[in-house]
Amino acid sequence: MPLIALEALTVRYGEIEAVHGISLAVEPGEVVTLLGANGAGKSTTLRAISGLAKPASGDIRFEGRSIAGLGPEAIVKLGIAHVPEGRRVFPGLTARENIMLGASNRGRLARRVMSDETDGMFELFPDIKPFADALGWTLSGGQQQMVAVARGLMAKPRLLLLDEPSLGLAPVIVQKVFSIIAEIRRRGTTVLLVEQNARMALSVADRGYVLETGRLALSGKPEELWRNDDVRDAYLGGKAAKVL
Amino acid sequence: MSATAQAAKPAAARRIGGRFGGPLAYAAVAALATLAAIYAPFDDYILHILVETATYAIAVFGLTVVLGLCGQINLAQAAFFGLGAYAVGLGTSDLHVSFWLALVAGACVALVMGAFLGMSTLRLGGHYLAMVTISFQQILTLVMINWIPVTHGPDGVGNIARPAFFTSGHGYLGLCVVALALVGYLVWHLPETKLGRSMRAVRDNELAASVSGIDVYRVKVAAFALCALLGGIGGGLFAGGFAYVSPDQFSFAESIVFLTMALLGGVASPIGALIGTALLIVLPETLRFLKSVPGLYLAIYGLAVILIIRFMPDGIWGFVQSYLRRFMTPPPFAQAAPELVLAPAKLETPSALEIEGLSKHFGGLKAVDGVSFSVRRGSVHALIGPNGSGKTTTLNVLSGLYTPTAGKIALDGHDVTGLPPHARTAAGLGRTFQNIRLFRSMSALDNIVIGAERPGNALGHGHAALVDRARAALGFVGLEGRARDPITSFSYGHQRLIEVARALAGNPTLLLLDEPAAGLNSTEKLELRGLLKRIAAKGLTILIIDHDMALVSDVAEHITVLNFGRRIADGGAAEVLRNPDVIAAYLGAEPDAAHRA
Amino acid sequence: MDLALQLLFTGIGIGAVYALVALGFVLIFRATNVVNFAQGEFSMVAAFVMVVLAVDLGWPYWLSFLLSLCAMALVGALFNLGVYYPLRNRSFLPVIIATIGASIFLANSVLALYGPQPQVLQGWFDTPGIQLGPVYLDSQYLLIIAVTIVLVAFQYWFFEHTLLGKKLQATSQDKEMASLLGIPVSAMIMLTFVYSALLGGIAGILVAPVLFVSIQMGATIALKAFAATIIGGFGDVAGAIIGGLALGVIETFGAAYVSVPYKDGFAFLVLVLFLIFRPQGIFGERVAEKA
Repeated sequence: MPLIALEALTVRYGEIEAVHGISLAVEPGEVVTLLGANGAGKSTTLRAISGLAKPASGDIRFEGRSIAGLGPEAIVKLGIAHVPEGRRVFPGLTARENIMLGASNRGRLARRVMSDETDGMFELFPDIKPFADALGWTLSGGQQQMVAVARGLMAKPRLLLLDEPSLGLAPVIVQKVFSIIAEIRRRGTTVLLVEQNARMALSVADRGYVLETGRLALSGKPEELWRNDDVRDAYLGGKAAKVL
Repeated sequence: MSATAQAAKPAAARRIGGRFGGPLAYAAVAALATLAAIYAPFDDYILHILVETATYAIAVFGLTVVLGLCGQINLAQAAFFGLGAYAVGLGTSDLHVSFWLALVAGACVALVMGAFLGMSTLRLGGHYLAMVTISFQQILTLVMINWIPVTHGPDGVGNIARPAFFTSGHGYLGLCVVALALVGYLVWHLPETKLGRSMRAVRDNELAASVSGIDVYRVKVAAFALCALLGGIGGGLFAGGFAYVSPDQFSFAESIVFLTMALLGGVASPIGALIGTALLIVLPETLRFLKSVPGLYLAIYGLAVILIIRFMPDGIWGFVQSYLRRFMTPPPFAQAAPELVLAPAKLETPSALEIEGLSKHFGGLKAVDGVSFSVRRGSVHALIGPNGSGKTTTLNVLSGLYTPTAGKIALDGHDVTGLPPHARTAAGLGRTFQNIRLFRSMSALDNIVIGAERPGNALGHGHAALVDRARAALGFVGLEGRARDPITSFSYGHQRLIEVARALAGNPTLLLLDEPAAGLNSTEKLELRGLLKRIAAKGLTILIIDHDMALVSDVAEHITVLNFGRRIADGGAAEVLRNPDVIAAYLGAEPDAAHRA
Repeated sequence: MDLALQLLFTGIGIGAVYALVALGFVLIFRATNVVNFAQGEFSMVAAFVMVVLAVDLGWPYWLSFLLSLCAMALVGALFNLGVYYPLRNRSFLPVIIATIGASIFLANSVLALYGPQPQVLQGWFDTPGIQLGPVYLDSQYLLIIAVTIVLVAFQYWFFEHTLLGKKLQATSQDKEMASLLGIPVSAMIMLTFVYSALLGGIAGILVAPVLFVSIQMGATIALKAFAATIIGGFGDVAGAIIGGLALGVIETFGAAYVSVPYKDGFAFLVLVLFLIFRPQGIFGERVAEKA
């Protein structure tokens, strides 16, 4: 049984239909990436899974159980953590506090446990250890991204949703973020990754899906997708792809 | 519906529609009401109630303007009412000046105070205005009570005179009704004027109003001052009606009564104001027990405010109107829409827009970092780049929503770097927004009329020229047949077209399009592509930002690419799209090593 | 000089009350982006409940105090459910008007139930005060200052050192993100309203023996507290406290040296001066503008 399965999922934003009947599945332990140009519906798909957007029709099943229509607070308690686009680090809290709050979905935890686990996150992300007590808004984009991912991992998720973790980051930092994703995968957490940086995403993923204006256009192994002209189409537009 | 069928409709039905009735019908009703005021056999009690209703209603019209039209709050209308009343009271009883002089003086004082309060607060958020008006209200009450040598303190002012010819109860009521009718007419027609349209635009969407060339701050101050003025006039007439005024008649509680009247009747229309005023004056009179327990009727008003806001935000008249609208059809246009003429200023400079060394930093973040490019007159120029590359920041700096940290922007050869958004629009900049910003309470046509009213847009004089221009723009985007439909009835794609039409109606020198394809389905994208080509064919210069590379590569002749706030490529479309840096920016650089373990 | 010291003491005492109410303003504003115009009425209602229990029914002072606080917690919760929550997705203007409606409703309901006569509530202590050199320290003012210090310290500890405090802060900074982490956002907002009502209630009960307990006290206190928040810098906790104290002192000195009847006018004057010359307040915006 797949860990998460979308069945003919349709999501609307007011008058815009952002996702039209997408079906896909992620098996336990897999890293799967959703590719596509801006506005293709990638973020909306993640928002629907984590409960921020309500599906207009179709179903979302987590371990076989329908979670469509549940609120975000209930869904994260089931073990789905969403690290949204733009990092969304709490600006007025320190890096440490931000990470600690990631465990809010796990009921009453002893303070010791929480503190130890937070320290564990700083081991995984040594780059942000010196900034543990800096307020969120003073951190650089890359540091914020690491805090956001660490915060997501504190939920001990069985499924981690990562939305554009490389957005606005310098290439060196992007490399770092992706080596962390590789590490997360090595530890056995299932990841659904939305990325604009197709090369990077395909370098860590087991499988990939390509969305085009809210519909599933393609799916396959990373090597196949990378070689496929349609992927370039989706990013650079039809005419451009022919020019290439 | 045919024109004859339209004419066959009873005049009353059309008047009820509010916007389509003629001034003649209004004058007839006003004359009848005045005659009734003078000749109907009312006793003194009824006369009192009617004078109170008429004078209060004038003050509540003020709230129709400031709250209903302009969306700003005023919790001191009783204070402005009191200024007018005390001016007439003190003027006629202590200073023995004529009633008319005192009335005008009171109205002027109210106007000046209103303008001052508005000017000091309206640049800030709405809660400041709410608190400042409450404070002003409290201060004025303090002054009325404590400045005894002038105001007579808590005793109040008596022996207030009425003007000659209007000394009888009936005569004075007639005067009040005439004043009510005149002020009511002005408020009724205000939404049809440039100022009134600007107010509605500000209420619906301040950002869109400012990029349509409206000076948002000035419009707000004007609305607030107008509201205070009407408060002063109503108060002056009130004082003459009752011969005696005292501070408790103009307390904060009364300001809340005014507010409740406006909300209950319907804050968007003077008809609603009149209904609300009459109800809240007559109801407590008939339900005497309400006034027998102090505080009870105000407690009910407070509760009513909460309930109205929650369940009937448009008030009684808004509710009635929504039913009436079903039976009303606006008259069709007699002629077909004229063709849209786009005649952007043609000057010597080869580029319509010149950007030099533009930077915008947020704290340590360099969102835009020394970007330069120029947009050739008559060309379609695209600005692209991955998410977070600084495109939208550039656009916001261009349209004046952000002040640049460094750099220069020249539009048509004129430096516009320091100008606020509305002044840039006046200088010839038109724009649309990624997340559509239309004036949602208005029809498609009214939205575009506001665009056509752009300062600096040379049109013929009169309303007809504006409407023609707006219809031409609407026709150009293919929606001529739905001019009168409310914005909310249009699909997302059509709303986008209306936004483009709004910008086109202003006849801009340069059209900025911020992700016009965002949220459109494939059919709508095709339509958009066609529209952009037709605009380009008319010679208008376009700067487009979009992610849809198919669209960009199809319409743009010239492309500038940003990444990390810097320009990484600039040149002809085909050449730029072949640039390896651009491809890397979009697809990502080759990773050092595969991360899959 | 002696008079000045005496005035300073009194001013700080009154200012402490404004600071407490201002704190309530700021907490609700930060959690919901709503300026609660009924904040002052929380003080007024609490003072009246206290009068009913301690004076009319003659119950022990401490018991009346505790019961009043329970009543305020209930008022805060009902306020959230009846006024804020149903309108939480509407724009700013309707919400503000609704809180004004609630303020009018609360004030006049008390008036209708209790009548217009101002009431007297005696202070907590039997001893009226102590003479310290040239300054007479009124016991109620001492209590006000002490309680304010304790509450501010408690609030600091609560927000900086408890997980619940951190969750409340997270909610006020980004509700959607907080809900993604599993923080129960509605419960956090409810808690904010209850806590703000308690703060306002404590302020009202403390200030009641100094002022008369009247229907108008809510509006007066709210106006001062709002001015305090603007002086301090809108939405800033430290600013609210400093602003409240400053306003209390300015007002007391103004009443002594300029004019008593216009005492309440000074707050407005200071407010307008700040709006014109320094609308961002003393402390200004804390979190820098960022894209």
